[in-house]
Amino acid sequence: MQLLLAQSGNIMAGRAVEFLVEDDQARPEEGVRKARKLIGQNKVDILCGVISSGVALALRDVVTEAKVPTFLLGSANDLARKAASPYIVRPTKTNWMLGHTAARWTHGKLPQARALTVASDYAAGREFVGDFADTYRQLGGQLGKQIWTPLGNADFGPLMTSIAMERPDVVYGFFAGSDAVRFLRQWKEYRLNGRIPLIGTGAFFDQEDVLPAVGDAALGTVNTFQQSPTAPASAAFNQAYMATGKPLPGEFSTSGYACGQVIKAVLERMGGDISDWENARQALFASPVETALGHMPFDPRNGQAILDIHVNEVRRGQGGKMINTVVHTYQAVRDPGPAT
Amino acid sequence: MGYALVQILNALSFSALLLLTGLGLSVVLSLMNFINLAHGSFYLLGSYVAVYWFASGAPWWLAFPMAFAAAALAGALLERFPFRGFYARTHLMQVLLTYGLSVIFADLMRWGFGAQILSPELPEALQGVVFLLDIPFPLYRLFIIAAGLVLGVLLWLLLDRTLWGAVVRASVSDRGMVEALGIDTRRVFAAVLVLSAGLGGISGALGAGMLAAYPGLDEEVLVLALITVVAGGLGTFRGTVAGALVVGFALTFSKLWFPEFANAAAFSAMAALLLLRPNGLVAPRQRQV
Amino acid sequence: MLLAHRPAAAGLVAVAIALPALWAGEFHLRFLAEILIIGTAVMSLDLLVGFGGLVSLGHAAPFGLAAYAAAIASQSLGGNLLLVLPLGAATGMAVAAVMGAVILRTSHLFLLILTLLLGKIAWEIVFHWREVTGGADGLRGLPPLSLGPWELSDARSLYLLAAGLALAATTAARSFAAAPLGRALIGIREQPLRMTALGYSIPRIRFSAMLAAGAIAGAAGALYPFVNLYVGPQSVHWTLSATMIVMLVIGGVGSLWGAFLGSAAYLTVQTYVSSYTDRWQLFVGLVFVLTVLLLPAGIAGGLRSLVGGWAHGRNGNDRGA
Repeated sequence: MQLLLAQSGNIMAGRAVEFLVEDDQARPEEGVRKARKLIGQNKVDILCGVISSGVALALRDVVTEAKVPTFLLGSANDLARKAASPYIVRPTKTNWMLGHTAARWTHGKLPQARALTVASDYAAGREFVGDFADTYRQLGGQLGKQIWTPLGNADFGPLMTSIAMERPDVVYGFFAGSDAVRFLRQWKEYRLNGRIPLIGTGAFFDQEDVLPAVGDAALGTVNTFQQSPTAPASAAFNQAYMATGKPLPGEFSTSGYACGQVIKAVLERMGGDISDWENARQALFASPVETALGHMPFDPRNGQAILDIHVNEVRRGQGGKMINTVVHTYQAVRDPGPAT
Repeated sequence: MGYALVQILNALSFSALLLLTGLGLSVVLSLMNFINLAHGSFYLLGSYVAVYWFASGAPWWLAFPMAFAAAALAGALLERFPFRGFYARTHLMQVLLTYGLSVIFADLMRWGFGAQILSPELPEALQGVVFLLDIPFPLYRLFIIAAGLVLGVLLWLLLDRTLWGAVVRASVSDRGMVEALGIDTRRVFAAVLVLSAGLGGISGALGAGMLAAYPGLDEEVLVLALITVVAGGLGTFRGTVAGALVVGFALTFSKLWFPEFANAAAFSAMAALLLLRPNGLVAPRQRQV
Repeated sequence: MLLAHRPAAAGLVAVAIALPALWAGEFHLRFLAEILIIGTAVMSLDLLVGFGGLVSLGHAAPFGLAAYAAAIASQSLGGNLLLVLPLGAATGMAVAAVMGAVILRTSHLFLLILTLLLGKIAWEIVFHWREVTGGADGLRGLPPLSLGPWELSDARSLYLLAAGLALAATTAARSFAAAPLGRALIGIREQPLRMTALGYSIPRIRFSAMLAAGAIAGAAGALYPFVNLYVGPQSVHWTLSATMIVMLVIGGVGSLWGAFLGSAAYLTVQTYVSSYTDRWQLFVGLVFVLTVLLLPAGIAGGLRSLVGGWAHGRNGNDRGA
């Protein structure tokens, strides 16, 4: 996001843009207080960001009431469904998009496989696994045990032994941050890598947060994700991002950049004036935006982006680095959206 | 059979890690009546040292003495100021001071080592795996269990069976008397704190392969270590061993038996334990003065 | 009580409350309301820590569970203040009763760890009982507070409501502390053996203190969801309990009103310093350590010794930690 502003010289659609950053610490109460500060005190025209779904949901009513256009990066399904708001645009995935495509891919590759699921026991994990299981079952797949672990689990050892005993044909999983690193490390320590295919959501194998910390433990695993450093749309962003001394970009940096591109697009289409948000919204939804996440049309029902979902395989790239490599792309995946 | 055995080994390896972190905390608490909530920071510092040491290509086993030294040095500096002035203060004041310090260290380490998650590349020698009745168990975990045993026994010998240990224990029960014997008790206390910090560092180095290293881990480890020490009964060596086993097994088996309520079940078990034995598993003999 | 004795102080407080309501903007009023609500919870913690010497690391449990109770009730019954507030206080009291029963006979570090464990269990329940609590996402879309025909959803009425709660709660806490029960609480902190010899039942006195603190924390918790029309599991998390202790120490242990200073100082630093630097936690840590080192009686104690003789010897409560 900051990178995009620097590239555009802090000017979008002929209008100087002032950029304010606040830290929500992934805590809803914090996030809401910061958002109110930005709206009430700094009088911002646009809010953008928020990775945590909890914060995003908490903000939903605040920004809707204040009528401030907000671009949210939290991925809870509800934000595209019953919590959709005319003031919220979501230039990122919904959890359903990833769980659904992962089930299609798994079933396509291993139609007879018994799939075991394992995930962090909180909202996002429940959605990913639930959507995976639903689609997988509809396709006729067979589900094995479902394992849940507490968020911030210290030791996955006992779990690995359980999985080794179960001998499933494939494991579908979701973890993020330190949980993902510990899981993958121990997945390898207990020699499950290479013996049982592992498929998961992209954040589980995030290029920036997770892969550098796990060595070759994730080699050969597959994930479905809206972001991939090897997707053609990401190439220009990769270069610019790495030129600032950063590693190959992952989800958060790419989504932030794409979010900026969407904001830029709407400003340009409205000649820099978005005070009439209803019109601006229609202009944005009228035609797709080209972003670092690819060609991005929006669903006018809920302001949700319709995205290409890549199937990434973790492969060894130049210099032995692990890289999420696109092996297939599901075009224009669209969330079921609000129940009609 | 093999399954149960491996799960017991899993629990033991986690207990060994808890024991090592808990011992550092318990040493200062039992010998000096000082609560050090900055202990988690020593642990995390040790983890970071190990991550960088393993990556540097130097002989891998030196990572552990290095982590010990780094944390011990930090402990020595802190002992001079401000810990020394707080030995005689109330527990509440000690808790407040050291908690505040841990917040500062957490942010300093986030600054120095970055906010990303780091995980060490384990040396070849520890990467192996043993098969117990066809179920894999990592060699690295056996190493942790062995290290826990060895360090635990060494510490026990040092404090319980050497003259120096006797001086430390004597300084606690009657400081004036020991001073009168011509021993500088301030240096004795300083040495105990340095030892405790070093233990924190070395357990961080050992645990890095299991728990990785990232901002916030210091707090998680501290809470586990505190629960271990308190559940065992403050201030006895055997108590800390018992506490580590109870907490390690409770957390491991609750995950297997009640996966969705693992933490709640384990915490309830520990709370129940504290209720039944309000002074911990192994209560120190009371001295009425 | 406090106000009846000191008309000048009463006037000052009234003016201090009225001023922001007149000129402060929407954001600031809401922010002040949050400070007052959290401050009230911290103040109730002071009853335990400052008077009873009971350092609880689980005080977010009565606060947060009351917040959930109020939020859940309001979903089906509406945000009637006369329903929500007593419900919150009762929930806080019930949670405190459970905690109090558990910690009756423990003290010091054991008490700290037991309350920590209980707080963690409370969080686990909230986090996993998804159908009722919304799990990690929390509950949103709550109805606004109302009192009869008036809707209390705008920032100004929320602020005035929070101020009213803070005043009432402080008065209640003061009378508790001044009553024989409160005196006995201090007694058992200082001289447990002698108090037992005098025939006081330590568990019973502690239990009453827990109930009083729980009720006040619960009342504060009941209002909390309505500031943002949202409640999430962070409000039960043990880190909030730890933050409350930090606020209490910065503000001043044992003074009751220092709790509000502490919560104001902490939240202001958190909200404003974090806009300028990523190192705001370092800043909070430094402030905290310096307070412990230099101002063991917190801001309240510091102010008091500054004012010195002005308080004409009424320093009965100034005892630091």
